[in-house]
Formats: sequence, structure tokens, C-alpha cells
Amino acid sequence: MVRRRASLLAIIGIMVFLIGVALLNSNSAGDFGITMLSGLFQGMLLFLVASGLSIVFGLMDVLNLAQGSYFMLGAYVAYDVQHAGGVVDLISVIPDPNLRFVVAVVAAVAVGSLLGYVLERGLLRSLYSRPIFQLVLTFGVSLVALELIKVIWTTTPYSWTELFGVRESFFELFGQRFSTYRLFVVGMGIALIVAIALLLQRTRIGIIIRAGVEDREMVQALGINVRAVFTLVFTLGCGVAALGGSIAAPFLGASTTLGNVFLLQAIAVVVLGGMGSYAGTAVGSLLVGIAITVAQDTAIGTAFTALPSITPMLLLVLVLLIRPSGLFGNSR
Amino acid sequence: MAIPQASFISRLLRDKWFIFLLIALVAFPFVVGLLTDSSPFGVARGDRMIMRGESVRWQAVLIEVYILAILAMSYNLLFGFTGVISFGHALFFGTAGYVLGLMLEYTPLDTTLAFGLGAVAAIAVCALLGLVIGLVTLRLKGVYFTIFTLAVAEMFFIFLGRWQLTRAEDGFAITDLPMWIDPSQNRISVYYIALAAAFLTFFFIRRLVNSPTGAVLKAIRENEDRAQSMGYNTINYKLLSIVVAGMLAGVAGLLQVVLNKKVGPEILGIAYTVDPLLMTIIGGIGTFIGPVIGASGLHLLDVFLRDATVRIGGLVIDIASIWALLLGVIFILVVIVFPLGIIGTWQRWRMKRPKRE
Repeated sequence: MVRRRASLLAIIGIMVFLIGVALLNSNSAGDFGITMLSGLFQGMLLFLVASGLSIVFGLMDVLNLAQGSYFMLGAYVAYDVQHAGGVVDLISVIPDPNLRFVVAVVAAVAVGSLLGYVLERGLLRSLYSRPIFQLVLTFGVSLVALELIKVIWTTTPYSWTELFGVRESFFELFGQRFSTYRLFVVGMGIALIVAIALLLQRTRIGIIIRAGVEDREMVQALGINVRAVFTLVFTLGCGVAALGGSIAAPFLGASTTLGNVFLLQAIAVVVLGGMGSYAGTAVGSLLVGIAITVAQDTAIGTAFTALPSITPMLLLVLVLLIRPSGLFGNSR
Repeated sequence: MAIPQASFISRLLRDKWFIFLLIALVAFPFVVGLLTDSSPFGVARGDRMIMRGESVRWQAVLIEVYILAILAMSYNLLFGFTGVISFGHALFFGTAGYVLGLMLEYTPLDTTLAFGLGAVAAIAVCALLGLVIGLVTLRLKGVYFTIFTLAVAEMFFIFLGRWQLTRAEDGFAITDLPMWIDPSQNRISVYYIALAAAFLTFFFIRRLVNSPTGAVLKAIRENEDRAQSMGYNTINYKLLSIVVAGMLAGVAGLLQVVLNKKVGPEILGIAYTVDPLLMTIIGGIGTFIGPVIGASGLHLLDVFLRDATVRIGGLVIDIASIWALLLGVIFILVVIVFPLGIIGTWQRWRMKRPKRE
């Protein structure tokens, strides 16, 4: 309980500090609101990458370093589906851009899950007896994925050109215009956090997953096919990362740097929250997301424009100094 | 019973292969010079030298091989002999380069002095980085160290690519190096320095791994809990390994900056993490000569294939544009099919073969 309290104090301390800095930097309540909304937006995207990373690690002791590539892939697939006007003329088939965006997201998740399934079944499966090599393998897969994406989509970044209803609409509060789309993503993120939590807590498969995190061999001894659960969780993790990429694409576009940026931030989140801890990942995502946005706002116009890029790392080191195993982690 | 210890020199002499190799490599610039009728010192023009001719060109290729070999050997000390994986070896490599570059660029000292100080400072910074990263992560599962190094290295990469002091992504050229180590004036001396560094690294790592300390390192690789329960403070040993590996990678980074006469964020890039990892795995993890073979093989392949093209149907693809993709595919294949690497597989094959008496 003492340990929990220390974590709680750390979380509150960091939040108060971040909100304080954000308040000092903003001229009005509207400014502050925008910073917080962008922070939550960034945090939700991070959560989508980090949750797969964390649950897969907790269950299988595999850290999927290709997770960022799935995020990137999701962004590219969503972009292509949304803007498909060539051979496969989706634009004339589904003229409503809002509907087409839904299709794009679904397509991205499908492609991500499929490739996740292929990676687990085809490559990772043969390496469960050699855990070090799994890490090395996923690292290799992330490199190959990056190079393949460069071959298919070239290195030129794509920026989202098509405007659709939700993406473009605003609402006004405190005299500032807020993007509805960001709010939509934040809402979707919260829904997903709750949904995954319910899945883990309330369903039979969730119980198996949680039991597997505690003691894999025991679960297997009870006659449950842990391998099949591995595959399912890995596939879902990749699918969720692709979902993240696809819903981030209207804001961030699609580029080859996306994967690495999000992977690194997600790693910071997972370690900071405590490896394998779901609650830790959720809290960590929000902390890192808000920290990055606050750092961005603070660094604008100063000589220290590189600050946001190292913020997740600084936060991570800070937390590890207080709690070496992360906010919600076990000691080993 | 005391076992008589052979002296360092006499044991060195027993490695006949190495003596041959060393002689061959020492003679290399002159042999190539004779064969292609070019001077190993370049072409003199006034009191300046111009680096032109086959001999000088091949010296540069081999210097690169030595650098990569040092990097791969240092990586192997961690991965192969201690069982600790770092995905941020470029961090040490690049940081050493940056420290030297900044020292030469921003201190108003005499170049030789600035170079000496810069080199010492660079190695010290590498040791310190290794120590700090190790202290933060080593008490936890091994994977923490791995991803922590990955994250720190990438964030250094991004940070230095944006920082004004280091000229952001352009980096800066090193204009005045001391004459004796300037590759555009006196490349052959850089060649011998790199050669000496590579050989010293090899013997140093072999000495370290064959010492009692090395035995503990290998014990940690095999089973850390067991080594700990036997009373060894495994964290200290792992720290030692990380610090030494970091310093050796720093030496490689210094040589790289000297060779290219340029410091830029690319020396912190993921390529310098992937290369030693791949070279170590291909050559043979946990073998002494494996990383060297991996480094020379991959780099020479890269050099020879750089201008080559393949024709698939009507499509002409030059190798250079898909080199990274090829490396990645080789990487995955080796990890799955061929995890012992060249030397490891050979050793296993030799052990299985019935002995002829």
C-alpha cells in the first residue's frame, strides 16, 4: 500500500507540474483547453500503440518492437483507402467521405491484424524457446517493414488532403475553436480503454489472459491452449496499433518517421507505467501525451525547440528514479 | 598445482593465423600499390597530398572494416559474452564522435591538444553513459536495458538532429585535424592506427573473456540467478561489461569521425546499431572472430554490390536502393534459420565430427 501511495503521489505530482506549466504558458482558458485537448489526443494515440505492447509483453514476454510499424502501416492504408480514386475507384463507390473514413479505418485494422497474425504464426512461433531472439526478430521485422513501406509508398510524406465532416468541424468554448475530431479521438480512446478493461476483467478470455500474465505454465497445465491465446492477443495488439495509425492519419498524415516516433514514445509509456500493467499503460499514455504537448507549447519560439523530442525520456528517467519498476509494476 | 602461465607474447605467437593476417594487413597498402601501380601515400601536389589511386581507395575501405569490426566486437562482448542486448549501440558510437567534433570545433586549443583531450573526453563520456544507463536499468529484467538503450539512442539522434549547437541535421565538417591523423593528407597513418586499434580490441576482449571476470560474465549469460546465488554481484559485472563495451564502441566512433572528417546525426542513427547486431549474429554470437568476419564480410559485400544492378523481368533494380531491405531480410533469415552464425555453426560441425587419431 505504501508503494501504491508513492506511485499515486508521483502521478499527481507530475500532473500538477504539467498543468501548472501549461497554465503559466497560456494566455486564456481557451489556450489552456487546447493544450489539454491536444495532450489527451496525443495520449490516446500513444495508448493505442502502447496497450498492445504492454499486454503482449505481460502475457508472452515478447516485446514487439514492430508495433510502431503497424501504427505506420495503419496510417498508410487509411490514407490510401480514403484517397483511392485510381484503379479501385472507391471515391465514386462511396461518395460520402465520412463513410469512406469508416471504411478506411476498418481496412487498416484488418490489414494490421492480418499481418500481426502472419508475424506471430509465421515467424515468432518458432522462437518461443529462444526469447532473446524474439526481441531481435521483431527489431528486424520493424526494419524490413520500414524498407517495404519506403518501396511501396516512397519516402515522401503524405498529408491528408480530403476534408470530411468530423475532421473539419469545430466547436467554440472560452472564445477558442476546438477541433471536434480531436475530441472524437479522445472519446474513442476512452471507450477503448474501458472496452479493453472490460474484456480483461469480465470475459472468460480476459481471465485467461490475466492468468497467463501471472503464470503461463499453470494456465497451460489447466488444459488451456495458451498458444492460441498468444496468437489472439498478438493479432489484437497489432490491429489496435493499426487502428491508432488510421485515426491519427487525418491529423498527422502518413510518413516513414511515424513508426519510430510512436514506438519510442510507447516504449517510454510502457516502461513508465510498469511493464505488463494495463492500468499503468493507460495512465502512462496520458501523462506522456500531455507532457509532450506541454513541452511543445513551452518550447515554441525558444532556443530549445528540441525539447519535446526528449520529453518522454526525461519523464521516464524521473519515474524510474522514484519507482524503478514503473508506476504500476512489480519489482521484478 | 600451479599451472605455468604462458606469457602474453608467447601465447600471441602461438596464434599463427593472426601473425599471418597481421603481416598481410600491414603490407596491404603497399601490395595494392605495387599491383595497381599507385602510391600508398597518395599523389603529392606541392606540399599537399591528394588522395588518389587504388591503394588509397582500398585503405579507406579497410579502415571502415576495422571500425565496424571494433564496433561489432564491442557489441559481442555485451550480447555474446554477457547476454545483455543493447539496441542502442549507436549511442556510444555517435556520442564519442560528437564529443570529439565539438572539442575540435569549439575549443581554442592547439589541434593536437584538442584532439587528444577530445578523444579522452569522448571515451570518458561513453563510460559515463554506460554506467548511468546500466545503473538505471540493470536491476530490472534484461529487456528494460534493451529498450532503454533503444529509446535513449533514438532520442539522442532526434535531439542532436535539431540542436543548434551541433548544427542540427547538417552536422559540421571537421576542418583541422592534426596532420598525423588527417585522412586526406596522411591516410596510411590512419590505416595503421585503425588496424592497431582493431587488433588490440580483439586481444583485449579475448583476454577479458578468458579471465576469471570473463568466466563470471559467461555465467551471467547462461544463468544470471545462479551466478547471483553463487555470491557474485552480477550487477557490477554487467556494469563492467557495458562500460567496457561502450568505451570500445566510442573508439570506433572516434575513428569514424576521423575518417569521414564530419560529425552529423547519422553517426547516431539506427544503422550503427543494426550493423554490429547483424554482423555479430552472422559471424557467430559469443565467438571471438565471428564479429570480425561478419563485419568484413558485410562491409565488403556492401562495397562490391553498391554499383551492381539486378534484372527481374523488365525491371532493373540497383542494389544500393534496396540494400537496407536486403539486410533486413538477411537479418530475419539468420535469426530464424542460422542463429549460431558462421563461426558458431562451423564450431558445432567440428565438435560433432569424429576425431581422427
